Amino acid sequence: MHKEIVEFLNAQVPGCEATLVEAEVGDSTIFIQPSHIKAASLALRDSEKFQMNVLQVITGCDYEDRIEVSYILASFIFNTELILKVKLPKTDKDATVQIDSIVEVWTAADFQERECYDMIGVVFDGHPDFRRILCPEDWKGYPLRKDYVVEEVYNGMVVNPENKMNHEDHYFYKKIQEEQEDPKKVTFSWKD
Amino acid sequence: MQDSVILMKVDDFFNWGRKNSLWPMTFGLACCAIEMMATGAAKYDLERFGCGAFMATPRRSDLMIVAGTVTLKMATRVKTLYEQMPEPKYVISMGSCANKGGPYWQHGYHVLKGVDEVVPVDVYVPGCPPRPEALIEGLMTLQKKIANERLLRDKWVKHA
Repeated sequence: MHKEIVEFLNAQVPGCEATLVEAEVGDSTIFIQPSHIKAASLALRDSEKFQMNVLQVITGCDYEDRIEVSYILASFIFNTELILKVKLPKTDKDATVQIDSIVEVWTAADFQERECYDMIGVVFDGHPDFRRILCPEDWKGYPLRKDYVVEEVYNGMVVNPENKMNHEDHYFYKKIQEEQEDPKKVTFSWKD
Repeated sequence: MQDSVILMKVDDFFNWGRKNSLWPMTFGLACCAIEMMATGAAKYDLERFGCGAFMATPRRSDLMIVAGTVTLKMATRVKTLYEQMPEPKYVISMGSCANKGGPYWQHGYHVLKGVDEVVPVDVYVPGCPPRPEALIEGLMTLQKKIANERLLRDKWVKHA
């Protein structure tokens, strides 16, 4: 199915550069160019052959140089699932990345895109009501990014009060960090 | 009955009335609230202790059972609700999350590490979530506390 979809996308949406990444374990994915996400979604939804009528999930994943946004689509007519991915290169550590919104294609994308923005920091252009969904409006940063550091004080409340912390946990992680050859592989979300 | 007389201290009389008609606020934050509902329902029957009338507004309630994880977003609202309750008012912190952050105690960027950071707590009920028996135990502890209060002397008449 995946190869047919890649051929279909490349024919229907010129310039989307759909490529198949076949997984040895788990589900194969199709990567496309981020600029063509809306056209590709429309084509997949309206095609006679695939009829991807449901958007199940939009999630993001933070890598060192890029953020990958995954769209899990499904066709309830043919009982098929498809994972569509885009790579959005990061310019700066805390900078957001941009992509077109697909709310006009699937309305289900509304809350999913807002959550993706809230947690990972992906800005969806053309979203009708774009704001945070889980965190408060005045929250700083995007909590699910790997380099996110917990705020010390929020709204006058101390997030990690000194007398309620278990410092052994800090020592434990620091010890692992020192033992590793590459200390970057051990991450935790507190300031040293 | 007309010439019967009951002799009692006014403090004790007040406390007897107050401890047996605690009105909790209808207010649940997470999974502990399910246990709180079970406690209020037929099997465990919080009404036996005069505590079954869950009020839908803080203005009419005198007990707040903080049942669940208090996120930073919710903490400001919890504080507002507490301030809206009329005196004298009591707080039961139910479950590990409300006591000290629970499983989010170190890695939770979004969780308040214990509801006692924002409101004064009378009774802590440990457990994750506590069974209904544990909540009843917490409630009875609070009732004992109320029974020993000297409201007239300590709170109302400051310079007696």
